[in-house]
Amino acid sequence: MSLWVDKHRPRDLMKLDFHKDQAIRLKNLVQQSDFPHLLVYGPSGAGKKTRIMCLLRELYGSGVERLRQETMTFTTPSNKKIEIMTVSSNYHIEVNPTDVGIHDRVVIMDLVKNVAQTHQIDSSGQREFKVVILNEVDDLTKDAQHALRRTMEKYVATCRLILIANSISRVIPAIRSRCLTIRIPAPTETEIASVLHLVCKKESINIPSDLAMRIARSADRNLRRALLMCEACKVQQYPLTADQKVPEPDWQIFIRDTASTILSEQSPKKLGEVRQKLYELIIHGVPPDMIFAGLLKELVKNCDMAMKCQVASHAARFEHRMRLGNKPIFHLEAFVAKFMAVYKKFMEESLGDAF
Amino acid sequence: MSDFPDPDEEYELMYADELELLRDINESDDSNAVKRKQLPAKRSLDFSSPVINKTQITQGSNDIVSFNNSQPISQSLQPLDDYLTPKNASNKRTADDLFGDINDIDFEDIELPSKRQKTEEENDLELINRILESRKLKQSLLEPSRVKNDFQPTYLSKENLSLNIPRWPFMPLTNSDGQRIYVKLESEESWDSSLGITDQTSLHSTFAKAWEEARRVLEEKQNQKPEEAEQPIQVLETDANNNLLLEKYRPQSYLDLLSEEPVNRALLHWLHLWDKIVFNKEVKTSEPQQRNSFSKRTGQFQLTNKWKGKKEVEPEIDEDGRPHHKVALLCGPPGVGKTTLAHLLAKISGYRPVELNASDERSVEAFRSALQAATLMRSVLDKDRRPNCLILDEIDGAPLPTVELLVKWCTATVAEGKKKAKTHPLRRPVIAICNDLYATSLRPLRSVALVIQVGGATSERVVRRLSRIAAGERVAAAPRTLAALAARAAGDLRAALHVLALVRARVGAAGRQLKMEDVENAAIGTKDCHKTLMQALQAVFTVNDQNPDEIMKTIQAAGEYDRLVDGIFENYLSSRVDGRLLVACETMSWLRLHDTVSSWTMRTQNYSLYSLLPLCVARCHAVLATRTPLRVKFPMQAQEMYRKRQELECILQSVYAGCAPSVALSRNSLQLDVLPLLPYLLSPKLRSANVQLCSESERRSLTNCAAAMCDYGLQLVPRRQPAGLFALELEPDVYKIAFFGNEERARPPPALRQAIAREQQLEMIRRNEEMMTKGSGKENTKEGKLKSDKEKSKEFMEARVPNHLQRLQPKILEKKSQQVHKDFFGRIVPISQVQRSDAVPDVISSSSVFYQYREGFNNAVRRSVRTRDML
Repeated sequence: MSLWVDKHRPRDLMKLDFHKDQAIRLKNLVQQSDFPHLLVYGPSGAGKKTRIMCLLRELYGSGVERLRQETMTFTTPSNKKIEIMTVSSNYHIEVNPTDVGIHDRVVIMDLVKNVAQTHQIDSSGQREFKVVILNEVDDLTKDAQHALRRTMEKYVATCRLILIANSISRVIPAIRSRCLTIRIPAPTETEIASVLHLVCKKESINIPSDLAMRIARSADRNLRRALLMCEACKVQQYPLTADQKVPEPDWQIFIRDTASTILSEQSPKKLGEVRQKLYELIIHGVPPDMIFAGLLKELVKNCDMAMKCQVASHAARFEHRMRLGNKPIFHLEAFVAKFMAVYKKFMEESLGDAF
Repeated sequence: MSDFPDPDEEYELMYADELELLRDINESDDSNAVKRKQLPAKRSLDFSSPVINKTQITQGSNDIVSFNNSQPISQSLQPLDDYLTPKNASNKRTADDLFGDINDIDFEDIELPSKRQKTEEENDLELINRILESRKLKQSLLEPSRVKNDFQPTYLSKENLSLNIPRWPFMPLTNSDGQRIYVKLESEESWDSSLGITDQTSLHSTFAKAWEEARRVLEEKQNQKPEEAEQPIQVLETDANNNLLLEKYRPQSYLDLLSEEPVNRALLHWLHLWDKIVFNKEVKTSEPQQRNSFSKRTGQFQLTNKWKGKKEVEPEIDEDGRPHHKVALLCGPPGVGKTTLAHLLAKISGYRPVELNASDERSVEAFRSALQAATLMRSVLDKDRRPNCLILDEIDGAPLPTVELLVKWCTATVAEGKKKAKTHPLRRPVIAICNDLYATSLRPLRSVALVIQVGGATSERVVRRLSRIAAGERVAAAPRTLAALAARAAGDLRAALHVLALVRARVGAAGRQLKMEDVENAAIGTKDCHKTLMQALQAVFTVNDQNPDEIMKTIQAAGEYDRLVDGIFENYLSSRVDGRLLVACETMSWLRLHDTVSSWTMRTQNYSLYSLLPLCVARCHAVLATRTPLRVKFPMQAQEMYRKRQELECILQSVYAGCAPSVALSRNSLQLDVLPLLPYLLSPKLRSANVQLCSESERRSLTNCAAAMCDYGLQLVPRRQPAGLFALELEPDVYKIAFFGNEERARPPPALRQAIAREQQLEMIRRNEEMMTKGSGKENTKEGKLKSDKEKSKEFMEARVPNHLQRLQPKILEKKSQQVHKDFFGRIVPISQVQRSDAVPDVISSSSVFYQYREGFNNAVRRSVRTRDML
């Protein structure tokens, strides 16, 4: 709880810094006796988890903040033991089923049943349901999502689910319709900047508004990243100046670097170099779709409008294929090769026009 | 062994062969050369040289042998045998030539000169020659046209005709143009002599030519008559019911073996090395000294030196008189005749083959008993009490412990065997047979065994054998069809014979005729057409002009489309000149399709599109194939990437698992947001590494850093560096995840690390204390509860006593006796005095910490120290 991200996380729905009217609605929701299943979605760093914790606090009081970490063991039908880490309080349990890969169905079935079948001992003055928080629901396998479907209805009396996802496009409609979906949009850059100012004030640090804006811009509308970057700035050089270097995640720099390699020369040899860089990115666990997005963002900067459309449609097609396939490197390289071919043709034509 | 054999032995050795030859002639008077006669049981009596039994064959057709002697041994057979260096052979040949052209010389006479120098080496050479000769003889009988004739009459027109007036005696002639020609005149003797050399062979050669032409004509007309010159095969008629071709035509003699000569020789030689211990017969092979002496006598010093050069390194016989290798390991593809070879040679060498194969139980116990039975006992019921030779067929399927037992058995020496009753030394030859030499279970055996690779027979020999069998079975088969069958079988004679058997079994209009369709339809030869990944890759990248459709077969034969595609992916960039990257785009589109289809197949377990996968690869071939040779690299990158990915995944997992619950967040955001920025946060900027000299804000940032490390479960752990010093390193190493190869620059300097580590340990202690106080509070209450429970139960027990029986017990007041203080001499000190003197020291003795202030000069930095800090 020492990093600013953790230290200055709002603990009360009313103290949230942005999306305040939504917070009020959530508060009203809690005060009604009918609390439905929730599906909270939004981009990373928008504050989904913060809001959920605030909500739980609103529901159960400060008892939810006494967290403990446990490892639960499940046995798959094929008699394989799988372990999964859970974070829980007396009132809720949080789990990330995708940690166990394709066995997530077992986790969901057993865990939800376990929790749901045990009633609250002391229901006087408390809610009569517990809350199960499932992270990264959009990455659940289809099996697991279907397993969730029936359980949600069956145990609704004793257990509420809060599902967290980045996007609901990969959540099956059956689940979507069973939940109240709450979208948490990413904060705008000005909102991020204001949060940064607020945090710095709490830390009794002066932050130039230029620097705050720069951090907000390079943080990609991700508040978590922005706060971490801000703190990193402070650690690097204490009296913050407007023109100081903002440390960025290295993988972002690396993607930019890759894009500039692609633009510098279009040849099979360069393609080989790019492949090594792509491998490096994948090794470091950067999701391939983010690589696609990052590359596209950098590459289209050098294109005219017609080509922008062309490249973007290629990227979309290749990324779609990648999701169907198993080897992201093929699709990434195919995209790079395609871009190189298109770009080279374009360059030659424009040069031909010039002469 | 002494240099010279003793007189008795020498006599026996000298005449052993002759004796045997004589006996053989008496016993097998029939002129049939191929038939094998059963060996006499008592080998110890008559055995002297490895394949002496062959002599009867050569004896049987004596005149032809001598005729053959005049021909040089064909060069192609020589390198087959390591006993037969080319030089050696040529020497021998001159000797043979010397005697060979005399037609009516006795066969024994030819041998006599070599018999006199009776040594193993000479025996070997001679036997090899004899075998080769008899082989040749057989060949010549089967295919007269193939016999090469070096003695063709050469009529050199240049020498004998002239347009000018020559110097030699001549006879003038006039030709049709009216030109004058001078023909050489020769004396009658010289003419006779030239005829004398050649007349014998010239006849034969003309015949061969005619034969060749006749055969060609016959083939062209598709006349499917079997070759007339074929020697009828001796069919084993003992078992009339046995009409399995394989059994019927199993080789009955050494000469029938189709496997290559060096293979046969090697195994036979190894079997004979056992003679000393099995038959109590001296084996003369390995003593280098003896060979030296021999070579001196014959003046073939260099020759023998060269010959034994390889052998000298490794004595063939160990001190127990057993061969160096206790086990022979035959390996080769199925159907080439390994089992047949082993059985036949064992029989020839005078053993009774005992087979143990995959159908028998091969647990360690069963194997031990079988091994004991085979190697330590001898059959009593057989009429010929021959020693056993254990043949372990299909040993590559045996479990590892079994093979280990065999190895242990083999490696036990005689001395050891005497000491321990359990492990007897191996006293009988053991031949193991396997298909896959590099099976994991055979690893221990490979090092101790004599490994003999049995390859498939050459296709022409297979064709010859097939045609003989076809003739024997009255199956009409054109040589071309047989050749196709042999090519299809690729050395697998067993499979080829099965096809023949199928044709034989067919009746009706088609008749017993082997047609091309039969061969085409035969489901043989497909099992061994496996291509390796690299072959397939190479095929993808090269243009195949002869057979463009072959690529599909190659790809399918290689299987492993996934790896193949990886291979293409790693190699395609260098295959063609591709300035506009169109080739790359095209290739990648196919690879992408492959990836999508294969993962769809795997995901849905629906294999209906599986046949599309090789097509993708074939399309890549169409795009990528070039004529320039390309060094194809084995696909490694994907594996390498996977390995590195796992490594970083492990680091991430350990951070993820080590996070404090209050900061726990999803893995993705941990990886993309927190960890890449954490290194910046973990290297606070301090002006000096000495924490005491830092400003308040710097110290705060240091504690912040330590707290963050505690939150995310990171630690600085001393590690030994390659240089030998210890350095503090972050554990788990998030720098590796955060940075792309340049992580070293971000690491804080060692002094700072030291400071952080210390601070972090303090922070950990602080947190533990907090936990302890929380925990202990709970524990206290628990204990209190327990205690009260106990008391309650006690009371409860007491409450059991009925009320009316209870009596109140008077409580005894304990009187506190006054402590009497005495001084050193035992006198009682008044109380008031005692209290006064004790008042001051009591404060010190009651506290657990003494502090003595020592006055004096001290220039140390004075600072306030709390107990908490010292903990």
